[in-house]
Amino acid sequence: MIDLMGMGAGLVAAGMQGGTAVLLAALGELVLERSGVLNLGIEGIMLVGALTGFAASHATGNPALALGAAACAGMLMGLLHGVFTVMLGASQVVAGLALMILGTGISGFFGQCFIGQTAPGIAPVAVPLLADIPLVGPALFRHDPLVYAAVLLVPVIRYFLMRTTWGLAVRAVGENPEAADVQGVPVIRVRMLATAFAGFMAGLAGAHLSLAYNRMWIERMVAGRGWIALAVVIFSLWRPGRALIGAYLFGVVGAASFRMQALGSRVSAPLLQTLPYVTTIVALVLIAWRARLHRDADTPAALTIPFRREERS
Amino acid sequence: MRRLIFHRRHGRSALHDSLTIAGSIGVALLAGYLFLEASGIDAAGAYRALLVDPLGTSYGFFETLVKAIPLILTGLAVAVAFRMRLWNIGAEGQLYAGALAATYVALFTPDFGLPRAPLMLVAACAAGAVWAAVPGVLRATLGVSEILVTLMGNYVAILVADHLCYGPWKGKTTFGFPMSDRFPDDAALPAFAGTRLHVGLFVGVLCSLALWALLWRTKWGFQVRVAGSNVRAAEYAGYRVKRDAVVVMILSGTLAGMAGGVELSGVLHRLQPRFSPGYGYTAILVAWLARLHPLAVPLVAFLFGVLLTGGEQLQVMGISSSLVDVLQGLILLSVLAADAAANWRMAWVVHQGSALSEGVVHD
Amino acid sequence: MLLTRMTVVLLSVVLLSACGDQASHKEDKGDEAGNPTKVDRKVGFIYVGPIGDAGWTFAHDQGRKALESRFPGLQTMCVENVKEGADAERVLSKLAQEGCTLVFATSFGYMDAVLAAAERFPATVFMHATGFKRAANVGTYFGRAYQTICLAGLAGGALTTSGKIGYVAPVPIPEVIRHVNAFTLGAREANPSCTVHVVWTNAWYDPAAEKDAARSLMDAGCDVIMSEGDSPAPIQAAEERGIFAIGYNSDSRAFAPTKYVTAAIWDWGVLYSRIVEEVLAGVWKSEDYWWGMETGLTTLADWGPAVPEDVRQLVASRQQDIVDGRFDVFDGPVFRQDGTRAIPADTRATDVELLGMTYFVQGVVGTVPK
Repeated sequence: MIDLMGMGAGLVAAGMQGGTAVLLAALGELVLERSGVLNLGIEGIMLVGALTGFAASHATGNPALALGAAACAGMLMGLLHGVFTVMLGASQVVAGLALMILGTGISGFFGQCFIGQTAPGIAPVAVPLLADIPLVGPALFRHDPLVYAAVLLVPVIRYFLMRTTWGLAVRAVGENPEAADVQGVPVIRVRMLATAFAGFMAGLAGAHLSLAYNRMWIERMVAGRGWIALAVVIFSLWRPGRALIGAYLFGVVGAASFRMQALGSRVSAPLLQTLPYVTTIVALVLIAWRARLHRDADTPAALTIPFRREERS
Repeated sequence: MRRLIFHRRHGRSALHDSLTIAGSIGVALLAGYLFLEASGIDAAGAYRALLVDPLGTSYGFFETLVKAIPLILTGLAVAVAFRMRLWNIGAEGQLYAGALAATYVALFTPDFGLPRAPLMLVAACAAGAVWAAVPGVLRATLGVSEILVTLMGNYVAILVADHLCYGPWKGKTTFGFPMSDRFPDDAALPAFAGTRLHVGLFVGVLCSLALWALLWRTKWGFQVRVAGSNVRAAEYAGYRVKRDAVVVMILSGTLAGMAGGVELSGVLHRLQPRFSPGYGYTAILVAWLARLHPLAVPLVAFLFGVLLTGGEQLQVMGISSSLVDVLQGLILLSVLAADAAANWRMAWVVHQGSALSEGVVHD
Repeated sequence: MLLTRMTVVLLSVVLLSACGDQASHKEDKGDEAGNPTKVDRKVGFIYVGPIGDAGWTFAHDQGRKALESRFPGLQTMCVENVKEGADAERVLSKLAQEGCTLVFATSFGYMDAVLAAAERFPATVFMHATGFKRAANVGTYFGRAYQTICLAGLAGGALTTSGKIGYVAPVPIPEVIRHVNAFTLGAREANPSCTVHVVWTNAWYDPAAEKDAARSLMDAGCDVIMSEGDSPAPIQAAEERGIFAIGYNSDSRAFAPTKYVTAAIWDWGVLYSRIVEEVLAGVWKSEDYWWGMETGLTTLADWGPAVPEDVRQLVASRQQDIVDGRFDVFDGPVFRQDGTRAIPADTRATDVELLGMTYFVQGVVGTVPK
């Protein structure tokens, strides 16, 4: 007999694990978009992060250090995006696409010597006591530390955005940079920090794929998850809590399509795989519907619009 | 004491734009040159391969045009949407929708006694239009971000194409392999003798002219352009911005869908899963480099054709495709940087205050 | 901040030094100019994926490298990441135009493009992997990996205690269906009541999806995982749960040091060398090269440490039967999933039947998309 409860727990666990890279990248991008900058190059940054993390772990044998290296590499890529879009005021859409191509190329080029290699990865950590609860334990409390970290980051980022001066500055800059500038908020600096943060998180997300989820480097291994992260940010309406739901939804639906097949379902697999995307569109429509009634969407008004100070005069 | 400051230029002439693009391509080529040399590769030889093959041989030239055709149509699709600040990044999905409709007409409709190719293109346009109308309507009525819906639409269209190729539309003569049967002969667009270049090129160029005329020679086009530069002004002037947005999305989807139909009818002659190497995404770059101007799109699409087919030639020379990606990314970033820099006028000004207290480096 | 900067510097040094030899080796082609056995020919390859996929394309590229070392002076060129669309015909033509006497196209979807390019360049020999259409200068080739996979299935059937084996399958084409069937026939020979559960990832290439597919199979109770995807991700997933893992394409034991069983691996260099020899000698003719285990094109990787001796011997004796021609995987009777007979008793399936296989055999749990 098939243990349906056990499979359910497995599904939740798989959804969390599959969704974590997306969530990490989405949280960074969310803060960035709140500051009014869109980075379409997340996919490329994640690839660079995945390779850097793997390479650093391979070289040093220290996965924690490797995580740091991946995040830093991501941050550099993010800053590159910032130099073009925030400092030079170049098109955010085009800079992001260029960064994606560049990241794919850089990671492919430098990654050639790491194919088929192994490196120390990040192992799952069972939370004491909680991990032993039947069903709930295996579903929620036997993950690698990055899964927990991503969950914990959600309230932290929410608190940062809504309750701190810097968070206010980020929102102000994304809402109305000219007004923020008048009030003395350093618009360029805030946006640069946000691009660095988004890159940092995308780097971590990539490293989650190459050090925890899969412990290997393979060319183009991110396989579209960077684009999903972008979708999740918009799905979330720029709110961290909803980003978590969106990322896990993507993870669970993806995992469910495999589990339904394993149970002998006859549904067409490609059609099943459209589910996360269709769900996102439907959810988005519902949320927009509600937002229209309650006006509670947090769309940054200045998203993709460069800030140029002297245009005021 | 003097200090370097930047002024933003206001109003740019066509001459200035052209000079900028030429200059930025120069910068890009220089950056790529340095990068290749730094990687220990004969950069001059690489450039010869990159440019001579697509431009210097007749086969290469025709092939570059073949590559440019879907880029022209999807580039126009993106350009018209971006003109109105509708960020349609779903040209890829609309292209697949068009390809599916074209396949349906080619293989599964009775013979109407008419040549199939034109009917396929009409169906492709209609399917692309429908695929783009959904995000358009959602945007106009509910304010749902068209970036997201068009992006999701890409995945859905590609997966539906997968489903059809692996399932219901799998060919009878393909030994179970995932592709449709070959289209009948009357489903093929006429090609020029001995080459793969087909009349799709004229379709693309005609669309470019028609789109230009529509945007610059009609009142409706004027409204769209106004709405694109200032929504509030357009609303104030009483233009029906929301309705126009839906129409623009439909127009955009029509063009992208046509690209799918033209590619199948002109080159592939059957439906294969994942046949597009990302035309719809490259189209964004094409449209942007063309300054969203319909008449510039064919030219830029051709340049991209050179860059992409030349990239294959680089691989033949033994340069890995990753390096080609890096080179292409660098070229884009250089163009972007040069373009952004050209928006600013540099000037040395005499500065009255104390440089020390201002913390400014002076010469 | 200083620490950050140091990490970055350190890392770039590591990356650059590890990859430093990458750029330089390209320049010394033709250094063997003085070599008397010099083969002044060019051979081209067109790949559907990146060479760094650690799977299908990687294995073919190993074959290309084997050619370079086997035939001094022979120049090979390759173009990777070529979509199975409009680009393929141009790349094939380019390789011919560059002077390649022989061009290998390593993906099924290049079929139309190969035939079109071959018509344009009648003096060039084109070899199309996994295809079925030939012309005067177009041959097809593949290996009977189903034989190796059947043996792997035999081991899997002997090792399962739950009676459920998981199969991570990439895309539903006859080649993969044939492999699933071969695996199942092998597994049920060792354990007649066991079942093989198939999950399609619908991608040749998505390590994270492959890993999740393997996990879902393990959640469903499978205690042996066979993966035909390109990446070693399912192998690693199985190892993490202490479950037996069987691979494909290349030897990936590094990812499952304790639970690795074996893998059905390719040595394309064997076949490529032979074809190059034939073309050089002028004796090549258009035919279908479908080589079996006896040639060494498809082999079983060395056994993992956890495989007991009796299983090794069971497989070894069956292997000998196949090599000697006493037995083949699809010897009848073979029954479809619904119980109807697909291959009658005392009949061996023809190559045409094998090429167009679109049904699952009895014992497979899963569906072929319709």
